[in-house]
Amino acid sequence: MASVGRSKSDMWIGAGLLAFCAFAAWRTLEIRQVVSTTVAGPSFVPWLMIGGTALLSCALILRSLKNLHANGEVAEVSLPDKATFKKIAAFVALLIAYAAAYFPIGYIPATLVAFIAGLWLVGERNIWVLIGFPVAMTLVVYFAFTELLSVWLP
Amino acid sequence: MESLSYLAPLFQLDVIWTIALGTLGGLIIGALPGLTATMGVALLIPLTFGMPPVMGLNMLIGIYIGGIYGGCVSSILLRTPGTPASAATVLDGYPMAQRGEAGKALGMATIASTIGGLFAAVILASLAPQLAGIALEFGAPEYFALALFGLTIIASLSGDVLKGAISGALGILIACVGADPISGITRYTFGISGFASGFAFTPALIGLFALSEVFTQIERLASNDPPISLVKNPWPSRSDMKESTNALVRGSIIGTIIGVIPGTGSGTASWISYNEARRTSKTPEKFGTGYMPGIAATESANNAVCAAALIPLLALGIPGDVVTAVLMGGLMIQGLAPGPMLFQTNPDVVVGIFGGTFMATIFMFIFGMALIPVFSKILMIPRRLLAMSIVIFCFIGSFSINLNPVDLYTMVGFGVLGWGMHKFGFSQAALCIALILGPMLESNLRRGLLQSGDNVVEFLSGPITLLFLALTVLSLGWPMIARLLARKGGVHSNIVE
Repeated sequence: MASVGRSKSDMWIGAGLLAFCAFAAWRTLEIRQVVSTTVAGPSFVPWLMIGGTALLSCALILRSLKNLHANGEVAEVSLPDKATFKKIAAFVALLIAYAAAYFPIGYIPATLVAFIAGLWLVGERNIWVLIGFPVAMTLVVYFAFTELLSVWLP
Repeated sequence: MESLSYLAPLFQLDVIWTIALGTLGGLIIGALPGLTATMGVALLIPLTFGMPPVMGLNMLIGIYIGGIYGGCVSSILLRTPGTPASAATVLDGYPMAQRGEAGKALGMATIASTIGGLFAAVILASLAPQLAGIALEFGAPEYFALALFGLTIIASLSGDVLKGAISGALGILIACVGADPISGITRYTFGISGFASGFAFTPALIGLFALSEVFTQIERLASNDPPISLVKNPWPSRSDMKESTNALVRGSIIGTIIGVIPGTGSGTASWISYNEARRTSKTPEKFGTGYMPGIAATESANNAVCAAALIPLLALGIPGDVVTAVLMGGLMIQGLAPGPMLFQTNPDVVVGIFGGTFMATIFMFIFGMALIPVFSKILMIPRRLLAMSIVIFCFIGSFSINLNPVDLYTMVGFGVLGWGMHKFGFSQAALCIALILGPMLESNLRRGLLQSGDNVVEFLSGPITLLFLALTVLSLGWPMIARLLARKGGVHSNIVE
């Protein structure tokens, strides 16, 4: 397990949130306005939230700086090590591919491939479990949803 | 008499089976460390899509009640709380398991959860209609103040109030994606037609609470599980019951009161109840050494919260805790809007929920006592098989509501966001509450300002509005009060990570 200081990570997150606020503000300027008798138009609440998030992000950065100067780095956030991080990134990529394949290819083939690949990614090497469990689970779930619960699956 | 006739659908065989299955499923989910009742409800909401409202909603309530109770299993057997609500149960449950009394500890937890649950269900059935009657008078200012009050839940749900507030503000901003509720103008859709009506709520919830947990499970795959204790006779003796009576009664009352207050939740209730039981006990030194009243206090309180948290949800339309926030998704996909009008338009559903809460609690008792000997086997399910099975359910659940492939990307996106938020101490629950209450807040604020000609004083001057604004301030101070109460008993809630 790798780790990073809590205050340091909060500072980076605060900066990231400020950048996000700038992006959201730009997009909010693009919202079409309507003629109205009130100041509360379609972009009223978004502006309130962008302003609020920006202020709170500044508070987060200031708090982190204060903590860092007063006590040094005390609390740590545990992060996945490089290998685990790669595994999770690959897993996310697999999920995106699964999402892309779900409708055009259909539930059974897409799920079978994603299930086996996912199990392999998380370290399953027993060939019977690697093949048998996904086949059984995919078919049982398909039957339960389509036949018993009348939920349509592609 | 009319109300009693609404109970009839509850006694149909398929409804009974569904509630029983929901409760059993919740129990298993709650028993597995890392899988929470919130996740169980979020994951299984789509199952209720094709069911009649009373059947579907009671299945979700069964999962909720079973899930909160199930958390005690791994608390007692593994010293790892299955859900945050059962963290306090570790204090006396695990030492009992070490002494070879795991069965008795689980038995007491089951009995206490049942008593707490039934007590709160009675209060739910008597209090919710009264509260809904008052709420019928509400207009835009009152609903705005109510939504604001509901949003202060964020303060008590988040360990770090500043990060909770950031999550909340982001949640409201995310809820703005799609068509503006007043003018219909689209906002932040980036030209993607799938986002025209905003992010679909249920896929977002599934991502936040279920898929994010899969990522956490993948991280933990390398860690070793502790040995599991053997489970024998589950029935506590008469003297055990006598000794625990005060703790049981007090825990049920504390859990019910805390459940009604939005945002406090089962975790807070069980710690306060434990502290009170210890403070008022003649033998406080026995607490923490494997003492039955300790388990009775925590488990009666955390299960009392389940039914009590439904009171603000059903009567006012604001969730009592994070699981009821997710339960709102279940009501919404049935086309039902929680709040006072539900009592007028769908009294059959409301009465059905009251009855279903009783039924689920009774099923929880039956399954709890019957399955105690096999609990240790549930905990042996390999995590990697569990993780991948959850992924499959996440996909089916997210897709089947709107049959829209965009919802799958929404779910994956919120899953990654939820995992990152959890990692860096930002509350996923705060984001979820904001996603729910954001639209209510926005539409009523704008409608109210329009009606009052932008006069804020006139907009916020009604007595009920002022009452909710005062409650908002009080609710913001709640974390401080809870901390003081926890310190009073000298128990530190952070002993169990």
